[in-house]
Amino acid sequence: MEQQALVATAPTSLFPTVNDVVRMASPERVGEPGYYGLPMLKRPLWRWEIAIYFFGEGISAGTYVLATMADLFGGGRYRRLIRAARYISWLTMVPCPPLLIADLGSPARFHHMLRIFKPLSPMNLGAWALFGFGQPVTYLALQEAAGQLPALCRPFVRWAPRRVVAILGLPFALIMLAYPGVLLSMTSTPIWTRTRLLGALLGASSVGMAASSLALACVLDRRMERESRVAISRIEGFSHVCEAALLTAYIVQSGPVATPLTRGSYRRMFWGGAVAIGIVAPAILGAIGRRRKHRPSGVWSAVLSLAGGLALKWALVHAGRESAYDRAANRIASSPTAGNPGWNGTDHNAALNAPA
Amino acid sequence: MSPDTAEQLLDVWKRPDPPEPREETGFFTDTTLCIGCKACEVACKQWNQLPADGFRWTGTSYDNTVALTSTTWRHVTFMEQFDSGGPGRWLMMSDVCKHCVQAPCEEACPTGSLIYNEFGNVYVQQDICNGCAFCVAACPFGVLDRNPVDGQAHKCTLCYDRQKDGMTPACAKACPTESIQFGPVSVLREKARERVRQLHQRGETDAYLYGAEPSGEYSELNAFFLLKDHPAVYNLPEAPRRPSAALKSNYIASFAVAFGMALFSAFCFAGEKKWNSRRS
Repeated sequence: MEQQALVATAPTSLFPTVNDVVRMASPERVGEPGYYGLPMLKRPLWRWEIAIYFFGEGISAGTYVLATMADLFGGGRYRRLIRAARYISWLTMVPCPPLLIADLGSPARFHHMLRIFKPLSPMNLGAWALFGFGQPVTYLALQEAAGQLPALCRPFVRWAPRRVVAILGLPFALIMLAYPGVLLSMTSTPIWTRTRLLGALLGASSVGMAASSLALACVLDRRMERESRVAISRIEGFSHVCEAALLTAYIVQSGPVATPLTRGSYRRMFWGGAVAIGIVAPAILGAIGRRRKHRPSGVWSAVLSLAGGLALKWALVHAGRESAYDRAANRIASSPTAGNPGWNGTDHNAALNAPA
Repeated sequence: MSPDTAEQLLDVWKRPDPPEPREETGFFTDTTLCIGCKACEVACKQWNQLPADGFRWTGTSYDNTVALTSTTWRHVTFMEQFDSGGPGRWLMMSDVCKHCVQAPCEEACPTGSLIYNEFGNVYVQQDICNGCAFCVAACPFGVLDRNPVDGQAHKCTLCYDRQKDGMTPACAKACPTESIQFGPVSVLREKARERVRQLHQRGETDAYLYGAEPSGEYSELNAFFLLKDHPAVYNLPEAPRRPSAALKSNYIASFAVAFGMALFSAFCFAGEKKWNSRRS
């Protein structure tokens, strides 16, 4: 009696997995192939925290790489651009650790991520990269800030190393650009695993967003060097072309597995946000701007690119939740191949026992 | 910070010697013997002190457990096949963590919480797991699940505690038909092959083993099954993928783009200098 009362009054939120799944089972689906329409996989539990994190860390790592390249190869011509980039990099890096910690089931154990070094797990590699990345970003942003302060702080700018620190942080920044898509593709979620382009796509999108945020800084800062504007607009254009090409290849290669993005609940976010706002609109604005001999990239173009980058990462992270429950996609993703025949013995046995 | 808290924090980095490896153990689940009594589900819940999952009807079969979750480590599936004109049959299978020899969840785990214990079983160390949910997405069988109460991943331990004391896991002990058999994996595989031969001789030619040997990129399963229909009928993937198999090419593509972008930007920033000097 007591036990039953407990079960009856227990909040259903305690059993999210079963509640999800039970809703999908219905008598009408009894005749369907498979198991009553029930999903084979658990859905990924990552949500808005991770989408926003991928957005922030992408801009942070991208602006870090661009600023470092401008510092190393620009011959001192991009001081204002580098300063803006160091500030943006720090500002977008700061919310990253809290977002990741908030996403954990046991946030108090966040430091367990750094218990071992295990590059086989992209999440472990990413945790180490973020840990290593945070120090140079903070140092370089502080140094830029000291340069704008009264003479008391100047020695920190003049005598403290800048380029050495920037170079030391560069490998971490490159890992931060490269790992998010690889992390998603080391799962069994069909939409993340059908192609090998997800890491490249998210990396290109991150550099594009970083360039757009710097284009925004170029427009807002009236004293920005003219060379900075030209260089940033070229990088922005190139990374958006790469992003568009990789996105097309990703969607084409994924085929029907990409349904949650192309036709599912995230189709508006994907077509309207990532494609129309993030890629097509800035391209049109850029073309118009160039014909009228305006500034290389306007405020609107940059803002639209950033919004599109956020939409792409949001849609990709959330589409995984739908894809794991997409039974057609699961069938495709776990169908036998020459290199992976699987264990479906039904056909094998039929052939084995056929009369000679 | 009290010394206790400091010790607790540092404890995570201590690496005691692992126990001596023992003979690999596993489950052989023979679905032709399963009568769907769910004794395994109950025994598992009792021994492992797992809470109830609430209760709801699926309306599709006697399977109201629905799925393996963080608090359900054995799950009996019921398939009723009565519409193909023949005499009809029930297919029942007690599903469990497959204890893959090369487990995607273990490969994904960023904290080292998931390990292979001395019996070769995949085991979640509950004092390490921080609930990142990577294993939940990584498992190709949908076994792992994060519990919202303690925020950690849980799954079948293959009764690690019972095995340490030389006892049979609770589900295998409770199974009244020996559908669930426990033992050293090498012995179980031999038994299973013998069982398939026996069934084929009796005319049940659709019997086959699921996971008794490696399949291309995917390793063998230490908890394997004897099935009589397509794996999808039992809600199992026909040919599971090992996510880490594509890891290297994924990394190459994504680092190529990151390096390429960095190089292009370096070129842009350096090129601007020449362009300017030409103009001035």
